[in-house]
Amino acid sequence: MNASTTLTGSGHGISSHDDSHGDNGNDPSGHSSHGLVLQYQPGLPLSRGKLIIWLFLSTEIMFFAALLGSYVVLRFGALVWPKPHHVHLSEPIGAFNTFVLICSSVTIVLSLEAAKGNRASRAKLWMLATLLLGSLFLGVKGYEYSAKFSHGIYPWSPRSRVFEKPDLYYGSAVRARLGEPEIIERLKKLDETPENQLTTEQLRARTSLSQVRKIVLNTDQQPFDLAVVADQIMPLATETGHGESGLNDTFTWLQLPAVIPGGTMWASTYFLLTGFHAVHVVVGLIVFVILLTMTLGPKRAGTIEAAGLYWHFVDLVWIFLFPLLYLF
Amino acid sequence: MQTHDETSRASTSEDSQGHGPFTSSSGQPVHAKHSEDNSPAHSEEHQHGGIAKYMLVFFALCILTTMSFFTYSPYWPWRDQPHVGWIFMMAVSCTKALLVVLFFMHVLWEANWKYVLTIPAAMMAVFLAIMLIPDIGLRSRMVSQERLLHMARPSDERLLEKAHAQREEHPTTAH
Repeated sequence: MNASTTLTGSGHGISSHDDSHGDNGNDPSGHSSHGLVLQYQPGLPLSRGKLIIWLFLSTEIMFFAALLGSYVVLRFGALVWPKPHHVHLSEPIGAFNTFVLICSSVTIVLSLEAAKGNRASRAKLWMLATLLLGSLFLGVKGYEYSAKFSHGIYPWSPRSRVFEKPDLYYGSAVRARLGEPEIIERLKKLDETPENQLTTEQLRARTSLSQVRKIVLNTDQQPFDLAVVADQIMPLATETGHGESGLNDTFTWLQLPAVIPGGTMWASTYFLLTGFHAVHVVVGLIVFVILLTMTLGPKRAGTIEAAGLYWHFVDLVWIFLFPLLYLF
Repeated sequence: MQTHDETSRASTSEDSQGHGPFTSSSGQPVHAKHSEDNSPAHSEEHQHGGIAKYMLVFFALCILTTMSFFTYSPYWPWRDQPHVGWIFMMAVSCTKALLVVLFFMHVLWEANWKYVLTIPAAMMAVFLAIMLIPDIGLRSRMVSQERLLHMARPSDERLLEKAHAQREEHPTTAH
C-alpha cells in the first residue's frame, strides 16, 4: 500500500488511470499485472488542471498588461488628464471595493483549506461568502457607473455629454440642447414659476441659466464666455468641494453638455479597464455558483484551487487598477 | 520539499477516492495509517497552509491599502509633488501583488516551474508597455496644428478655473 502511494504520488494521482500508459509510452509490457505500478512523468511537476490555469493566467497577465500599459502611456502622454474628482470618482468607494476584494481572496483561500481538511460544509460557507463579496464588489461598481452616467460620462460618443474644451463646438452643442422642444417646454414652465415656489438654490440656478442662454445665443462668443457657460453647467469639482453643484445638478432634466478637459479619453480608458475587470469578476462569480452546487470535499480541492488562482488574479488586477484610476 | 508536498496531496486524493466523500468523520484515522510515510509532508502542509499566516497576510494587505489611500488624505506631506505619491503607490501595489501571489496563490511553495510561466509573461508585459511609448506616449510631441486646435490643453483647464474663480468672487454677475 505504501509503495503504491509513493509511486502514484509522483504522478499526481493521474497514474492510477489507464490513460497514463498512453501518455508517456514507456514500459508498455504490462508490468502492472505483477503488482508494479507504472510511473507517469509529467513535463512539469504539477497537475494538468493547475498547468492549464497557470498558462491561462500568464496570457491574462499579458492581456491586462496591454490594457494597463496603454492606460499609463495614454495618461502620461496626454496634454491634460482629468483629476479623479473632475470625473466624480470617489476615492473612499474605491478603497472600500479594494477591501471587499481582499476579503474575498481570503475567504476563497479558507474555502480551499476547509475542503482540503474534508470539511465540506464549511468550505461551502466560505465559498458562499466569496460569492457574496464578489457580488458586493459588482454592486458598488454598478453604483459608481450610474454616478458617471448621471453626469453624462459615457464611453461611447452619441450618449456622452463630455466635451474636451469650451470651444465653438461646445457652444453649439449647448445651444442645440436648449433648442430641443422638450427643453423649451420645461424652460417656459420654469420661467413662469413664481419666485416663492423655488428654493434659493433653484432661484440662483434660474438666474445663471438665463445668463447661459444669453451667452449661447450670442453670435460672437469669446472662449472665456464659453468657459463661464461650462462652469455654470458643471463646475470642475475641486478636491475639497465635491458637492458643488452646477445647473445639471440643480435641474437634472437639463442634461446639458459639460466640459472636462481630457474627459473623453479618460472615459474610454476607465470604462474599458474597469469593464474588462468586471467581466472577469462576473466569470468568477459564475464559477463560484457552479462550485456551490457540488460537495466541496478533498476531491474538489483541485477545482477550488484553480478557481481560487483565477480569483486571486482578478484581485491582483484591481490592486493595480485602484491606485492608477483613483489616486493618480 | 516538492516531493513531500506532492506525496501528501496524492495521498489525500487517494483517501477520498478510496472512501468517497463520506469519510468526514473517519478521515483522520485513515491519514494516521499513512503517517509513517508522510508525516514530514503533513507538517509542511500545515506550515504553509496555516490560517494564521493567511490572516497575517490579510492584515498586511489592509494596512498597505490604507497606506496608499493615505496619499489621498490632507496629511500626505508631498501633495505638491505628485511623483512621490505615484512612486509610493506603485511600490505599495507591487508589495500587495507580491503578497497575494506568494501566499494566496501558493507560489512561494511551488516548484521551479513557477519561473517558467511567470518571468517570461512579466517580461513580455513590460515590453508591451514600452512598445506603446513611441507611438502613443509621445503623440502630443509631434501633433499637427489642426489636431492641436481640437485637443484639450492646459490652457483650457486654466480658463475654466478662471471662470470659476470669477463666479466665486462675484456671485451676482449672473444678473
